[in-house]
Amino acid sequence: MSTVITPGKRGKRTGTAPPAASPVRTRRAGRRQQTLATVALLAPFTALLVAVFLVPVGYAIGLSFFSEDHDGLGFGGGETVFTGLRSYIAVLSDPSFLAGFGSVALYCVIFVPAVVIGALALALLLDSGLIRLRRTAQMLLYLPHAVPGIIAAVIWLYLYTPGLSPVIKLFAQADITIDFLGLHTVLPSIVNIALWSGLGYNMVIFYAALQALPREVLEAARIDGAGGVRTALLVKVPIIRSSVLMVCMFSLIAALQLFTEPMLMNQATPMVNSRFTLNMYIYDAAFRRNNYGLASAASVILLIVTCALSYAVTRWAGRRDRSAR
Amino acid sequence: MPGRGRPAVLLMIFTLLLAGCTASSGSDTAESGPVRLSFWSPLRGSQEMVDEYNRTHTKIQVDFEQVPSGDQGGWAKLSNAARAGNAPDVATIEYPQLPGFAIDGVPRDITTLLPESVRRRIMPQAMDLTTFDERTYAVPVDIEPMVFLYRKDLFTEHDIPVPKTWAEFESSARKLKEAQPRSRIASLFTTNGTLYMASYCWQAGARWYDTSGETWRISMDDAPTRKVTAYWQRLLDDDLVRVEPASSQQWRAHLQSGETAGWLAGAWAAGSMMASTPGGKGKWAIAPLPQWDPKKPVLGTQGGSTFMVTKDSNHPEEALEFISWMVTSADALRAKLSSGISSAYPSVPDLVPVARKEMDTSYFSGQDIFGLFEKEAELIDPRWKWGPRMVSTISSGDDGLARAGAGSGTVLDALREAQSKTLPDLKSLGLSVTTH
Repeated sequence: MSTVITPGKRGKRTGTAPPAASPVRTRRAGRRQQTLATVALLAPFTALLVAVFLVPVGYAIGLSFFSEDHDGLGFGGGETVFTGLRSYIAVLSDPSFLAGFGSVALYCVIFVPAVVIGALALALLLDSGLIRLRRTAQMLLYLPHAVPGIIAAVIWLYLYTPGLSPVIKLFAQADITIDFLGLHTVLPSIVNIALWSGLGYNMVIFYAALQALPREVLEAARIDGAGGVRTALLVKVPIIRSSVLMVCMFSLIAALQLFTEPMLMNQATPMVNSRFTLNMYIYDAAFRRNNYGLASAASVILLIVTCALSYAVTRWAGRRDRSAR
Repeated sequence: MPGRGRPAVLLMIFTLLLAGCTASSGSDTAESGPVRLSFWSPLRGSQEMVDEYNRTHTKIQVDFEQVPSGDQGGWAKLSNAARAGNAPDVATIEYPQLPGFAIDGVPRDITTLLPESVRRRIMPQAMDLTTFDERTYAVPVDIEPMVFLYRKDLFTEHDIPVPKTWAEFESSARKLKEAQPRSRIASLFTTNGTLYMASYCWQAGARWYDTSGETWRISMDDAPTRKVTAYWQRLLDDDLVRVEPASSQQWRAHLQSGETAGWLAGAWAAGSMMASTPGGKGKWAIAPLPQWDPKKPVLGTQGGSTFMVTKDSNHPEEALEFISWMVTSADALRAKLSSGISSAYPSVPDLVPVARKEMDTSYFSGQDIFGLFEKEAELIDPRWKWGPRMVSTISSGDDGLARAGAGSGTVLDALREAQSKTLPDLKSLGLSVTTH
């Protein structure tokens, strides 16, 4: 580890010749060490990237262009052949895939703003010093994130299920009927689970960014007569814009891959069908329908959409950044 | 939240990669000695049958593995094993799923291998359901004409006639509800009701799947289907049937308490009722299924299984010999019945006396239920065909029926949705499909 040579040493090469006895040897040794270090440091990441991302993506793209092919009625088994874009056409003409797209889009529209604004508000509150026991509050808010997603979903499902849920029972005593798993409530119920586990995590990111703010800026704001709210909204938030952007993007990517919560709720309510989200569609195509070509095509489409949206968000934010300057 | 979605996807991709590698080892012969066959089945009594076979045969020995039933993972297990090339020699499959597996190339074409002596003994309607495009892919084990199991004591007590037609069924349903406001005549099954709905439509003359030449013709909302779904929708809307999943705890509890006073199901249901609701002894009876036109009685089936020889099998002839024994021999049937109560109606009619003799019908007050099944089995409409992707069609239909049961959408919507969710799959497989 001590052999790490930072790029700062590059300066030596371009600078005037050092007084050392054999500059060439030093330079060569340095360069070799540098290469070694780069390789050593990048190797684990690259290996993982290749093994768990690039290879599976390549495999999925390959699979998506091949499919079982049958003639006519299809009996007696088919052959796996190159079918070009057929799986893509089938996916895009599948109403259940498009419906999955719709529910994920709606989920994104509700979830992403809610989690970003909610986490930001909590972080600003903590940072403002208005809240006592800041560490305890922080920990309590972060705690849900430590609960694995599937467990969180089980807990919430328990709270949502009529006949089991103490919450529903409580409301019933006040003569209010609540159906958390109804046609129009099921998506908000899913958002709620995701918010519960996501808020604390994102709040920590924002809080860390806020802690790094230059104190003199805040002091200047105070001297200029800005109150707590104005400082928060007009000074603090713009400065931590890059964190906000990052959280936006991560939340969006996570939201597009919505799977665990609805998959579990699929067992509990007919309002969540087995192809409710894009990922559930992929799962269903691969493991219930054994149609790997279809599943791969849907995966590739999801990947493209995710990349495109991430790129769009970055571009959009970049342009706003420039125009803000 | 970040990082939570990604592992799910990665896990999925890895499972995808690994999916082909699971399943148990295949079977291969030792250099000499008996041929060893592997056999998978979720059916009760299979172990007893295999034991009997191994005891009485030396040339072929069978290794049996109890597998989960289809919707509990049995279908996935079999297709994964077939993809990996280590499917068992003999596997069990139900009628609706057979065409899909035949398209995937899991069963072997046994058209020429199946001895005529065996084929002749099996009911032609059953053979039709395992024969596609004039090729036979499996041997029927049982065929299950749909019947009406009902609480005779309640019907007598309230002077309700046993319905012969569907119109009478509806009026009986109203009478029962009037007499006992907490009771309903039967259940509309929701989260697993598509196959029941299929049987009602089958009886009414619907043809969800048909072939014309080399093309699949699909119509899950043809005129008979619309008639049947409108009928059930009315029973549902008027609160004349109980809405619950088949085989669920609550459904069994309602059968036990008499709050649900009937069950429309295949002949096998009689045995299932005896085993699961022993307290109903002497209270239940079985009637023919109500008809749309009593002058032209016709029926669909509900349930029933078949045995296939897989393409992977190295011993197709021996496998078929074993299957023939299981399906046609009285010894096999006796061994199977020794495991407990079963009222499955054998696909080989000349075995009915054996099944009848083994069955103690005191539960149904001594009613000759096999005599009834025998008559009803003759009414099975031979024109019905199952489709190429029933596993997913059924689960889509079940989703829709569950919503219809909860008041969102209709029974017909559920079937239409099942069709529209199935078509892309078929097209991506290159099948030739039309809807009408």
